[in-house]
Amino acid sequence: MSEATPPLAARQNGHAVAEPGKYLTFKLGHESYGIPVLKVREIIRLCPITLVANMPAHVKGVINLRGKVIPLVDLRTKFGLPVTLDNERTCIVVTQIASASGGARLYGIIVDGVEEVAHFTDADLEPTPDFGGAIDAQFITGMAKASAGVKMLVDLDRIWAADCAALPDPRPPQPE
Amino acid sequence: MIPAQPDVIDRVAALLQQFGLELAFVDPVSESGLAGVTMLLGQLEDSLGEADDVPQPIIMGMIAIRRWVDDRLAADGQLTADTIVRLHQWQPWMVEAVTAWSRGLAPQVVPAIWSKAVSSSVWGGAADDGPAEVPLTPSLPAVVPPPPPHQPPAPLQVKVLSAQSPAEAAEPPPAVPAAMWVASDECQDDQQVAVLPEQGDPEMLQLFCAEAHDLLHEIEQGILVLEGNPTDKPSLDALFRAFHTFKGNVGVIKLTTLQQFTHEMESLLDAARKGRLMLGRASIGLILEGADVLERYVTELAEQLAGNLPGRTIGLPIPRLISQANALLAGRTLPTAPCPTPAPPPEVQPSRADSPPPSSLVNEPPPAHPNLGSVAVGPAAAVATSPSVPRPPTKPAAATPAGVVRVDTLKLDGLIDLVGELVIAQSMVVQNPVLAAIADAHLSRSLGQLRTITSDLQKTAMALRMVPVRATFQKMSRLVRDLAVQQGKEIQLVLEGEETELDRGLVEELGDPLVHMIRNSADHGIEPPDVRAAAGKPRQGTIRLRAFHQGGFIVIEIADDGRGLDSGRILAKAIERGLVTRDENLDRRQIHDLIFAPGFSTAEKITDISGRGVGMDVVRRNIERLRGKIEIDAEPGRGTTFTIYLPLTLAIIEGVLVGVGEERFVVPTLSVRESFRPLPGMVTTVQGKGEVVSVRGRLTPLLRLGNHFRIPCRAHNPTEGIVVVIESGQDARCVFVDELIGKQEVVIKSLGDLFRNQNDFAGAAILGDGRVGLILDVNALVKLRHRGGDAAA
Repeated sequence: MSEATPPLAARQNGHAVAEPGKYLTFKLGHESYGIPVLKVREIIRLCPITLVANMPAHVKGVINLRGKVIPLVDLRTKFGLPVTLDNERTCIVVTQIASASGGARLYGIIVDGVEEVAHFTDADLEPTPDFGGAIDAQFITGMAKASAGVKMLVDLDRIWAADCAALPDPRPPQPE
Repeated sequence: MIPAQPDVIDRVAALLQQFGLELAFVDPVSESGLAGVTMLLGQLEDSLGEADDVPQPIIMGMIAIRRWVDDRLAADGQLTADTIVRLHQWQPWMVEAVTAWSRGLAPQVVPAIWSKAVSSSVWGGAADDGPAEVPLTPSLPAVVPPPPPHQPPAPLQVKVLSAQSPAEAAEPPPAVPAAMWVASDECQDDQQVAVLPEQGDPEMLQLFCAEAHDLLHEIEQGILVLEGNPTDKPSLDALFRAFHTFKGNVGVIKLTTLQQFTHEMESLLDAARKGRLMLGRASIGLILEGADVLERYVTELAEQLAGNLPGRTIGLPIPRLISQANALLAGRTLPTAPCPTPAPPPEVQPSRADSPPPSSLVNEPPPAHPNLGSVAVGPAAAVATSPSVPRPPTKPAAATPAGVVRVDTLKLDGLIDLVGELVIAQSMVVQNPVLAAIADAHLSRSLGQLRTITSDLQKTAMALRMVPVRATFQKMSRLVRDLAVQQGKEIQLVLEGEETELDRGLVEELGDPLVHMIRNSADHGIEPPDVRAAAGKPRQGTIRLRAFHQGGFIVIEIADDGRGLDSGRILAKAIERGLVTRDENLDRRQIHDLIFAPGFSTAEKITDISGRGVGMDVVRRNIERLRGKIEIDAEPGRGTTFTIYLPLTLAIIEGVLVGVGEERFVVPTLSVRESFRPLPGMVTTVQGKGEVVSVRGRLTPLLRLGNHFRIPCRAHNPTEGIVVVIESGQDARCVFVDELIGKQEVVIKSLGDLFRNQNDFAGAAILGDGRVGLILDVNALVKLRHRGGDAAA
């Protein structure tokens, strides 16, 4: 998986460590997060979402991206942040990640507004501190100190892999 | 003389003009360009063949040029300087002759040296006989005309019709054609043939392979017809033409050995075509074997092009076949009885072992281009796969294949995806509220037009995926023939509805199950001739393979008039295998269904053909994977009929759109038995939670979709909503929804990894308004077990 996720992903003990580079930063609630800009395919307005029943709460459903059906994930729910009402700044960041079954997969993230594309150098980056169990930081690759505040850098691959693996399997898989 | 076919003359005149242009492009230095000349010549012959009043001089002229060209093709595939000179003389003469013909004037005199060339020809001069073929070992005309002061043609390097690329043409080709084969002493029967030709770019070779497969297919079909009726003129002509084209093609890629070989085959057919030779069992066997040799070569070439051990040689029994062909032509009976038995499978394994040491190859053939996978007609796909592009149903003998283009299937699928997106974008524009508010007649007309065009475009794009089942069906005739010979049975295969079109993916997937079932019919179904005769049936058994449309399905039916299924034996076997117990009370249909059970086989002896016990269960699984179903109907002593129902395409399903609350779902129409608004009293609660509906006297569990998916719904009282009865196999379930919205054809999209563990939805589809609609997994819903009080099971 790591080969397909430039420029970062030097992993230690299975945990990715943020590397310097360009990041797209966005708001989730009042907090700022960042993802490597190379993983971003495009940013689109909020569009009608089709709910998929019996899925974890943060999997909002699927949307139509110009003929492709892509899943939509709400990181606010995932991180336990309060879900603010959608406004005109709310949008969907379409990201591209390598899927376990090979090939690239698109998936959308609902954000409360994108901020900017910022370049973080080694000096800006710090490893995720140990929050002592109060916070599950397994999806954070590092923190970036920017002029406007601290940005948490998100490990999309890990979120995706966790979502795919940890989903409840209500019935034994049917033979295809 | 008034010409009867002015359009033929026009076409001939146009071709001659093109011929002149082609000649101008022939490079007198490198002496290449024979390919273009040959191609145009073939077209000329075809066009002239349609007219029945072609003046004798024109015929003579055609014979003469055909002879020159064939001589060159049979030699090194290069034009010589004096051939070029002759062609330059021939073209203006022919133009004049055709002009004279069109005006009904007296034809010109044929130049003496031409008629000399013709006089030794076997052609009796019948005008409607199409292209003339001369025997091999031609002698060049004794008198070579003095080269006229001929201006060198324009030094254009662009070869319009030539198969060689400019770059190659610029290089002087080797004076001697590449040594294609090395005869080895240790193998007297097989001739080692280098598979990759010396030159020729991979793309061209790919094209060659693809076309060769089609031609071989045609050849095989022709032979099978001839076997029943050795004098069938259309088949003879088609066969001849196929070999002829093949010869031209191998000439273009400079495979001298094969070219010579196809020439022999062609001569044999030509003799048959002209009534000089009666095709017997021996000659048909020989031609069939010849086709197999070519197929083995082409399969191997395709494999090497795909990067699989390029440079390998292959052993082909060419010398033996050529000598047999010559013997037949000379009117002798064959020294060794040729085997009209099933030809070896198109695998090259045996020949790989006896490849000569690499040193015997004069030059290492160029390695195949690594990036060719996309168009590759894979070896496994060989003749089995139909062309990737739908072809108009041309008769094998059709002279003009109406302009068929081969397209990379990836490009095709890309196009179809894009068209799908265009349709959605279009509907979003049309339904845009701002635009809808504009009351402008012009705008609404334009939007209407846009809608019409996009929907037509979509239909056309979808049709691109469709190919006739012909190729798959016809492959079966060979199979049946071989099986019949092998088992000493007399079996006739009747094909019907070969023009029925199926999704390309389906056609490819259908091959294996069909082979299996045909084998079953030939092996277990049809009895040996004596048994049949004793039972009062015709000695020859019949297997009928039919394809037709029926209510949104493609139906494929395999019916034989053999011994049918023996319910008693099936049941005994099933009990023995522990598939059912003795006390189970099964009806005939259920017993027949047992043959689809894994590991079931009633064949008493394990034959080479079928009876290994891994048969029908695989067939059924394959068919079900294609979202189809298979049914069986058998009558003891009368025969067995397998009926396969397949969806029209893999990509599109027809769905019933149902609404629950704000959400909409697609239910595949095939699975919907009926839908109705329940009357009061039809729904009964069970233990206060579950519900059953009485449908036509049967109690069927009710599933409230809203509750199941935990979405708010509008209809709570059963009489406010709609009950949709869905079925899967023998089971059914009632699904309760708010409303029926309509029927729609939808393109199925995968939901992806994230949703792979859920069993509620089979996929998703983009609906008319651009939103995603989920397709219900009917099978899972019907089989749904009790879960948290949602459903009564």
